Amino acid sequence: MSSALWIAVLASAVGTLLLRLLPMLWMRRRLKRLDHDDGLEAMPQWLGILGPLMIAALLGTSLVPKTLDGISWLATVIGVLATLAVWWRTRTLGWPVAAGVAAFGAVVVLASWML
Amino acid sequence: MSQQAVSSSQRPWLTGMREAIPLLGGYVPVAISFGLVAIQSGFSAQEAVLISALIYAGASQFLFVGMAAAGSPLWLVVVMTLLINVRHVVYAPNLAPWLTASRGWPWLMHALTDQVFALAHTRLPQLPEAQRLGWFSGAALFAWASWIAGTALGALAGEELIARWPLLGEVMPFALPALFLVLVVPRFTTRRWSLALSLTILSALALTVTGFTNLAIPLAAACGALCFQAVKCRLAAKGARHE
Repeated sequence: MSSALWIAVLASAVGTLLLRLLPMLWMRRRLKRLDHDDGLEAMPQWLGILGPLMIAALLGTSLVPKTLDGISWLATVIGVLATLAVWWRTRTLGWPVAAGVAAFGAVVVLASWML
Repeated sequence: MSQQAVSSSQRPWLTGMREAIPLLGGYVPVAISFGLVAIQSGFSAQEAVLISALIYAGASQFLFVGMAAAGSPLWLVVVMTLLINVRHVVYAPNLAPWLTASRGWPWLMHALTDQVFALAHTRLPQLPEAQRLGWFSGAALFAWASWIAGTALGALAGEELIARWPLLGEVMPFALPALFLVLVVPRFTTRRWSLALSLTILSALALTVTGFTNLAIPLAAACGALCFQAVKCRLAAKGARHE
């Protein structure tokens, strides 16, 4: 890896750390300044809105398969349904992901055998 | 919950590690997948591991190696990586009311990923103040270590894994949407949230399909936020009419 690429890695790493760190320091100051009994009241409303929407946007982009053919879309739909079904039963983070990947993989493998 | 608080009183970091185990279901497959993708993009195993250890942000790492391998200008690679990670700015302030005065917290923010945030947002308010730093350290560092180990496994055994199971590289990345789905679904609590989240997901999907992958995340989130505000205005107007 070239030194320029290393600088890009370090810049991305430091930038990502600052994106996580600086808002925490800002919010701590704000909480101290406002001295609210309930810290949640001191939180700007837009913060609570943007968080879930950013994760939803990530979901939307990551749902698009690498190859845009019928089998990949079918596998994606089946994977999503399996993930939702297991989440509905377990309400955990790990098992639904495993089930989704297994279901997605099963469709891909079956399709590769049949075609 | 009191049971959890009592059981974690002696070694809160151990409790944090135990409670972070479910995250591994999402982390390890994606990390292995990243290791594979990085090797396929021309990076060495050590480089892939270092990228995982230093940047430690799943989706943006895929973008980073993909754009770097495609020969994109490096300033653009950094900007796009940070643009994807900009969502993280809303996480720490959401946890701030439950953070203690310790100087360890700023360093631990390196490990504040989507999944760790989701877990901590639920658990920190339930823990006694004295246990929060230990619990977060255990959960966050365990998740970080699993991400690094998964990357190493994918990078080192990637060729063999592909040779034995050629479909593995195609299947494993689905862990990423599955994980985001599990993080988003519990937020469909009201009609307003459901509309905003659905619009965000669909617009991000449409933008990605039409080739606007890099703009999809901020644009889709902005669409969702507008929808959220529009529904609020409409409800307010309805209320005014009833009065």
